[in-house]
Amino acid sequence: MRHWLRSYGLLLRWNLLRLRTSLPFLFIIQTLLSVGIVLGFSFLVPRDDPVSVLYLATGAPTVALITVGMVMAPQMVAQQKFLGLFDYQRAMPVPRLAMLAADASVWVALAVPGMVAALLVAVVRFDLSLTVSPLVVPAALLVALVTVAVGYGIGYAAKPELAGMITNVIIIIALMFSPVNYPADRLPGWLAAVHQWLPFQYLAQAMRETLDVPASGVPVLPFAVLAAWAAAGLAVTYRLMTRRA
Amino acid sequence: MSSAKGESVLLEIEDLVKVYRRGARANDGVSVRVDAGQVLGLLGHNGAGKTTLLNQVVGLVRPTSGTIRIDGRDPVADPAMARRMCSLQPQSQAPLNGITPRQAIEIMARIRGASRRRARRRADELIGALALEQWAGTVGEKLSGGVQRLTGFCMAAAEPGRVVMLDEPTNDVDPVRRKLLWAQVRALGAAGCAVVLVTHNVAEAERAVQRLVVLDKGRVMAQGTPSELRGDHADRLRLELVAADEPVARRLAEEFTGAEPAVVAGRRVAVPIEPDAATTALAWAQRERQAGRVDEFSVTPVSLEDVYIRLVGSETGASEESHDASLAA
Repeated sequence: MRHWLRSYGLLLRWNLLRLRTSLPFLFIIQTLLSVGIVLGFSFLVPRDDPVSVLYLATGAPTVALITVGMVMAPQMVAQQKFLGLFDYQRAMPVPRLAMLAADASVWVALAVPGMVAALLVAVVRFDLSLTVSPLVVPAALLVALVTVAVGYGIGYAAKPELAGMITNVIIIIALMFSPVNYPADRLPGWLAAVHQWLPFQYLAQAMRETLDVPASGVPVLPFAVLAAWAAAGLAVTYRLMTRRA
Repeated sequence: MSSAKGESVLLEIEDLVKVYRRGARANDGVSVRVDAGQVLGLLGHNGAGKTTLLNQVVGLVRPTSGTIRIDGRDPVADPAMARRMCSLQPQSQAPLNGITPRQAIEIMARIRGASRRRARRRADELIGALALEQWAGTVGEKLSGGVQRLTGFCMAAAEPGRVVMLDEPTNDVDPVRRKLLWAQVRALGAAGCAVVLVTHNVAEAERAVQRLVVLDKGRVMAQGTPSELRGDHADRLRLELVAADEPVARRLAEEFTGAEPAVVAGRRVAVPIEPDAATTALAWAQRERQAGRVDEFSVTPVSLEDVYIRLVGSETGASEESHDASLAA
C-alpha cells in the first residue's frame, strides 16, 4: 500500500507539472462551457416549466463531468500515446491502477469548479430551491469515476486519430440526444430504450436526484448501474494498460 | 544497486522467438548473455528485432517461445519484477512537455525507488557529467532533440536497477556530449549494471562496449568482442579516394592494384591493402592528387562498421555496389 501511495503521489506530481501550463486554460474553458450550457439551453427550454428547469439545472453539472471524463481525458490519452509518453509509463515500476488514479484525480479536480459554477448559475437564473442530499458528494464522485473510466477505456482502445472523433460523437449524444438535460419521455421510444443500456441517463439521474431529492427518496438503481459501468470501464482500461503484445 | 562485478550472469536470454500476431518474426532464436558490469552493444538495421528484444526483457512484450532470466528470475511470469530490476530508455523521445530535465530525472529516479536525497544527488551528478546545466531548468518543449535524448538517458540511469537497456541513446546528440554519454554508459557498467545498448553508431559503440551482438531479421548473425568480430581482417587497411569525376574514378580503380579488386561508387574508390603496402599506396595517392585526378584520400584500418555491413548487408539491401564496397574492406 505504501508503494501504491508513493507511486500515486509521484505520478500525480508529474501530471501536475506536465499540465501546469494547460491546466488554467482547460479550467477556464471547462467552467465557461458548463455555465454556457445552462445559459444557452435556457433560451431553448420554457423557463416557466419546473421540470424542464430542474433537468437543465442539474443536467449542466452532469454534462460538465461528461465533458471532462469522456472528452478531455481520452483526448489527452490520445495525445500522450502520440507523444510517446506511454512508452515511458509502461516501463515504470508502478502499480497500473496508481497510474490511472493519478490521472483520474487531475480530471475530477478539473471538473469540480465547472460543475459548481454551472449549478450556481442555474439556481440564480431560474430562482430554484433545491433539496440537496449529502449523497450528492459520493454521487458526483461516482459520476466522475464512470466518465473517466469509460473515457480512458476509449482513449486506450482507440487509435489516436479515431479517439478525437469518438469523443465528438459522445458530447453530441450527451448534449442533444440523451435524457440528461430533459426527461426521457421526450425521446422517441426506441432511443429511450437504447438509453436504458447507456450510462448517460443514470449519470444525470444520480446527480439530479441527489441535488433535489424526490419525494420517494434517493433511488438505488442509477448507483447500481453506474457502479457496473465504472467496474467495466476500469476493467477494460486495466486490461489495455497491462496488455502485452 | 549491486556492486557485483565480472562473471555473474545478470541477463540470460535463451532461444527467444517472438512472432507477432500479424505474422512478423521479430526475434528468431536469439540467445544472448550479459554479465554484471558488462556493456553489450546491439547492432542491426531498423526492423532487425532489437526493440522487440528489449521490450520482452522488461515485460512489455510476451515471447512466443524461449526463456529470459533476469538474475535468475522470469520476467514473463513476473513483469512487475522486470520493471523494478530493469530500467529502459525507450527509442521515442522522453515526454518532457511542461517538465524540466531536472524534474523529470528526479521524479523518475524516485518512481524507480530512490530516496528524495539520492534522486537529487544522482540528478546533479548526471546533469554535471553530461554538461546539461544550462538546460536543467528549461521545460521540455524548448529543448533540442539532443538534450531531450540525454534527459531520457539520465531518467533511465539515475536509479538504474540491475539491468539498463538503452534504445539508441546517442541519436540527435552532439559529438562532444556523445563522448560524455559513452563515459556514463561505461560508468553504469563499472557500477555493476548489465547494460544493453542499441545503436547504429558502430564506430562509437566499438570503444564503449565489451561485447557486440549483430541482429538481422530477428536472428543473431554474430556476437563477440569487437576484436573477435573483426577477425581475420583486423590487420588490413583500406585506401579510400575521392576522384575528380566518375570516369577518372573508374580509371584509377583499374590502375591501382590492392589486396582485392577496388570498388567504385560514384567518385569514391575503396581498395583493401595489406599493411606493408601502405607507404606505396600513400605515395601513389599523393602523386595522383598533385596531378589533379584525386581530390581527397585516406588510409584507415578496417573498421567494425565494415565488418557489420559485411554481416548484414547495406541498409538498402538491393544495392550490389555498396555491398561490394563493404566486401572490399
